[in-house]
Amino acid sequence: MTFDRHARAALADGQLRGALRQATTLFGERRQAALATAPDWEGARDRARAIKDETLLHLDRYLDEFSANAERAGARVHWARDAAEACEVIGRIAEQRGARTVVKSKSMASEEIHLNAALTARGIEPIETDLGEYIVQLAGETPSHIVVPAIHKTKRQIAALFAAKLGIELSDDVATLTGAARQALRRRFAEAELGVSGVNFAVAETGTILILENEGNARLTTSLPRTHVALMGIEKVIPRFADLEVFLQLLPRSGTGQALTAYQSLLTGVKQRPEDEGPAELHIVLLDNGRSRMLAAPVTRQSLACIRCGACLNACPVYRQIGGHAYGSVYPGPIGAVLTPQLFGLGRSPELPYASSLCGACRDVCPVKIDIPALLLHLRAEVVATRAGKQRALERLAFAGYAAVMARPRLFEWLVRAARMLRVMPPLGAWTKWRDLRPLAPRSFREQWRAGLSGKAP
Amino acid sequence: MRRSDEARREILSAIRENLTRSARGREPRGIAPGSAELGKPTADPGPAARGSKERGDVVSSFTEQLAAVGAQWTVVRGATEAAHALAGILTAAGARRVAGSDAPLVQRLVSGLGDGFVRESLEGLSRDGLFACDAGVTTAQWGIAETGTLVLESAREKNRLLSLVPPIHVALLSTSCICDSLGDALARVSRASHAITLITGPSRTSDIELTLVVGVHGPQAVHVLLLEEEP
Repeated sequence: MTFDRHARAALADGQLRGALRQATTLFGERRQAALATAPDWEGARDRARAIKDETLLHLDRYLDEFSANAERAGARVHWARDAAEACEVIGRIAEQRGARTVVKSKSMASEEIHLNAALTARGIEPIETDLGEYIVQLAGETPSHIVVPAIHKTKRQIAALFAAKLGIELSDDVATLTGAARQALRRRFAEAELGVSGVNFAVAETGTILILENEGNARLTTSLPRTHVALMGIEKVIPRFADLEVFLQLLPRSGTGQALTAYQSLLTGVKQRPEDEGPAELHIVLLDNGRSRMLAAPVTRQSLACIRCGACLNACPVYRQIGGHAYGSVYPGPIGAVLTPQLFGLGRSPELPYASSLCGACRDVCPVKIDIPALLLHLRAEVVATRAGKQRALERLAFAGYAAVMARPRLFEWLVRAARMLRVMPPLGAWTKWRDLRPLAPRSFREQWRAGLSGKAP
Repeated sequence: MRRSDEARREILSAIRENLTRSARGREPRGIAPGSAELGKPTADPGPAARGSKERGDVVSSFTEQLAAVGAQWTVVRGATEAAHALAGILTAAGARRVAGSDAPLVQRLVSGLGDGFVRESLEGLSRDGLFACDAGVTTAQWGIAETGTLVLESAREKNRLLSLVPPIHVALLSTSCICDSLGDALARVSRASHAITLITGPSRTSDIELTLVVGVHGPQAVHVLLLEEEP
């Protein structure tokens, strides 16, 4: 039970919980305020979901259309069945171009395939350039939030880290720390032969990829190096250029509470003349890695509508207490609890579908209306169906006994009376471990009914 | 046969197989691709239904939003006023080393700057030279009133690096090119550009303890010179 152990460790970390409370509350409030500035929020959610559903039902055709249009504009499209294949493709591109360093802007998909480890194994140094990701990489850790990767670290810890790794003086000033990272990373941008980015949306109609950000590191990553590699899951495609409008209304508002993030880069192929600005080569890597499997049923297919805004993390009462690391996956929070078992197999994280109170806050804030509680229940049913014999037999026996008692009113009444007299409760260890069982009432409803519901003592 | 071709075939057939399996669960494969119903926006009724605002309203809501996202602006009439304003902005910001894009108006304004400035030419500017610039001057092809956003098209000028690398970005924008909404702007941009960049205020981060810092990787100051048509 790794989730259990990690969750307990997180609950004991007061500093982490303070930072989580502050971040998730702030993002929740900002999101709420930003909704008011959208022309028609509910309409936008419905429309975005309809577009995603339409795309997923014809994903083969839209991927083909996207790929053909991107290549027509001068990009080269690669297909990767799994993480190893994607790492192989990107590693080979980097090696063939003699790249010793690779600058990276934030990409969840690259975390998913553990690209940094694969590049390092080839003797190529990957450098994260998003400030939060850079901090996490320098510290040798993993991100704990989709939007704010280093939310678990204080400025004091970051100051000590920068002093040790960048040789700057200790400072508590956030602007000074940010400036030090800018300085250090400028040199890296200047010398990198290759830039790797993620993709937020890919437009089938035009072959365009769109990348959102606030810092400018994604623009540097996709403008300065000679070669740009963009890694995207196959679910990122949308049909039309005009569809970008509705998704750009939803994503920044849900993620950071902004009407728009500072930058959107819409990139279509490569420059047509050598003297123009921008990379000479664009490689787009389309990653399956378990996604096509999710198309098999409507309940799982909706997982592919996710636009990675992180709103469900901030709204989730479980995530708000334990943070991202407890989920043991690159995708934390409610969406992580449903994506991780589907992407990497239920056997690796059978406890994740249970890491939820099923309160539905995630479904309420989701900009594309993914029914995460329904997905959690679906995955729980799968966990139960694959459970080993002995536990399953015990469970069956318990439910058979329950059914027998509930179908026989006299037996039920007799048992209740006996339990009240003996002051014993049934042994429901797994249930009562985390919940209180209500004490039995002094008079049952049936007894009160027979006494004419008088309310008088028996 | 290329390995990627094999991967492509396998991924596409996995997609088809899984979709067919879901269809067997009595769910039709639904709406035809590109169906007209879905192509019609419902979130934004469009400029006609929304009622076209007066030009003055559009400009004032644009500048209101610029202020909200931490950008500055100056309204000017004609090239002479623009040149004065540009020199004033650069002096006030303490910028000495200035580079302009290849847009004719930008070239004219930058070459008109006085001796107090070092004028770099984008042609033949080395990477180190670019990194040493204090300010970059470009035009913007469109503005978006609703969000205070600048839209830069690569097909129109070399604006990609000068709007990004120097700490100060000055953008020239004609008030007649301010669109109402993001949707209007997306409908108007030239899709011939291999790079379209939307810029809303200065570069920003809140990655350390959620404290806002501007100018992390991109410019810390964005100044819009709004050009009004001469009467």
